[in-house]
Amino acid sequence: MAKTETFKCMMCGHEYQEPVEPGEDKERSCPKCRSNSIRHLKSRPLEGSADGG
Amino acid sequence: MEHVAGYIGNFTATIRKKARYVDPEMCNSCGECAKICPVAKPDEYQMGLSTRKAVYIPYPQAVPCSYILNMDDCLGNNPIACGKCAEVCEKECINYDDQDEVITREVGSVIVAIGLDVYDPTEMDEYGYTRFDNVITSMEFERLICAGGPTGGHFVRPSDQQRPKRIGFIQCVGSRNPEIGRPYCSNICCMNTIKDSLLLADHYPDVECTVYYQDIRAFGKSFEDMFQRSKEAGTRYVRGLPGDIAEDPETSNLTLVAENTTSGKLERREFDLVVLSVGVVPAKDMAKISSLLTLSKTSDGFFMESHPKLKPVDAPTRGVFFAGFCEAPKDIKDSVCQAGAAASRAGALLNAGKIQIEAITSMIDAEACTKCGLCAPVCPYGAIKWQKGEVAVVIEAACAGCGNCGAACKSDAITMRHFTDAQYMAQIHAILAEDSRDKVFVFACNWCSYSGADMAGISRMQYPASNRVVRTMCSARVSEEMVLEAFRCGAPVVLVSGCHYADCHYISANRQTVKRQQRLWNKLEKAGVRPERLQLEWISAAEGRKFAKVMEQMEELRRTVTEEEIKHAMKALAPKPEKPKKEKEPAAVAD
Repeated sequence: MAKTETFKCMMCGHEYQEPVEPGEDKERSCPKCRSNSIRHLKSRPLEGSADGG
Repeated sequence: MEHVAGYIGNFTATIRKKARYVDPEMCNSCGECAKICPVAKPDEYQMGLSTRKAVYIPYPQAVPCSYILNMDDCLGNNPIACGKCAEVCEKECINYDDQDEVITREVGSVIVAIGLDVYDPTEMDEYGYTRFDNVITSMEFERLICAGGPTGGHFVRPSDQQRPKRIGFIQCVGSRNPEIGRPYCSNICCMNTIKDSLLLADHYPDVECTVYYQDIRAFGKSFEDMFQRSKEAGTRYVRGLPGDIAEDPETSNLTLVAENTTSGKLERREFDLVVLSVGVVPAKDMAKISSLLTLSKTSDGFFMESHPKLKPVDAPTRGVFFAGFCEAPKDIKDSVCQAGAAASRAGALLNAGKIQIEAITSMIDAEACTKCGLCAPVCPYGAIKWQKGEVAVVIEAACAGCGNCGAACKSDAITMRHFTDAQYMAQIHAILAEDSRDKVFVFACNWCSYSGADMAGISRMQYPASNRVVRTMCSARVSEEMVLEAFRCGAPVVLVSGCHYADCHYISANRQTVKRQQRLWNKLEKAGVRPERLQLEWISAAEGRKFAKVMEQMEELRRTVTEEEIKHAMKALAPKPEKPKKEKEPAAVAD
């Protein structure tokens, strides 16, 4: 079952949430700036907003 | 294929031979068993347009041409339930107790030729495949028009068994459509429709054919000629795809509305039968074969070759070759060519009897190895043999030299030939020896990112001159220690770059790069170093523009890094001095 995880772009600082399937093998890029520097913040709550962006 | 172990020249394949329940040696295909079988199931070969029995010959050209019994459909040998086929078989070749056989074979190479599946248009509801009887797929059309098909070659439409006079073909159903996750061209559908239109013109000259298309891709030998012949035979080609199909409930005729983009007019036409020219999709067994042979897939889901130009039939796993659709959509001619090439490659390998291994492979120092086993699971080729409590061993014939194991090893026991840790450290020290504050330190993988930098250069793209690029075979070769050392030497920004996921030349090695990067960001944060100073980018060989853009972003980032931050990182990341080990007191020696 997919879990919603929090990610942070290390280039533009954009934090967002995305559903992640178990064993998912997906190239990630920032939805805002397209950078691949995406840090997985695990279960850390999203800063500033409740539902992410 | 249930399991494959080993490496090039030494594969052990475990194969499950499914029970046929009919002895192929004894069966003379008299068909008495099928005549008496009471079961009727949709015939897969006829696309479900007719039925077959539980005991049947899968298709007319099957080899061996003997019956098989599908136990999932069979009522069984219980005399009350059935058992009729065994009763009528004079040669007594039916055996209900037949079992699957597991065979083991030693093989030197493996050719993957698992074929394709056809796109199921059910999800494209606008074409009404599940709602209208007279909307069929191109595969169903093939069966209907075939002399060996369910109607014996009598071309009729499903709703009323009458011969259709007006037929509409819709191209690119399940192809070139990113919205349904199928952005690729299926390669064969255009020519298949052209062939069908010629077939109809030949057998039924009174039939009117209209083809709705985006582009007609008739690029093979004599294909353009066929296309022209089809047009001369009266087939009408409309550039534009219909958005919807409506059915007349009384006649079951179908109305298509499409914009003819050549004339700019909206056209409404009625047809007796509509054929959806369905695309192809990767075979459903791809995932299993991929995991058995450690193969990687492209973003389209087909297997990725070792090199698109220089090794188009080789898999990244040495000793494994591709033939046909599993590698990419292609027609019969190309599939036959590729099959010949794959057989030649495999034959050459077997005839040589020996192979030349890669010059760049990893080497394990048995004395330094702590037997932790961290290296084995990260190898995408399964080239490291390790058992708990034992020293890891590299199978050099299977090693492709990505260096992932070298980066994972915590005890410096693994050395990559020609790309040693010492060489990398020397490069880091030399690059950052002077004016380190003005430099962006870049690790670029050999196959994609480094070539991307080349592309930016030869295309004369402008980007800041502050970057210093160090080439690694794979981004997964970049160890945590190498990144930390760059920061210790005063690098304001470090960029690790590699191939996109679908392009990784070492199957899936760059997934380890991502994991290492996550650990490094955590470490930097813990040490009070701004983690944003470490960046990651996937840059392909064709993305010179992206390389230039990333370099500009890195330069901008570099300008934000202060002298204090650099000094703090140098201090915070400095290796902690090792605690002096307590010397053991010499044991008393008995006189």
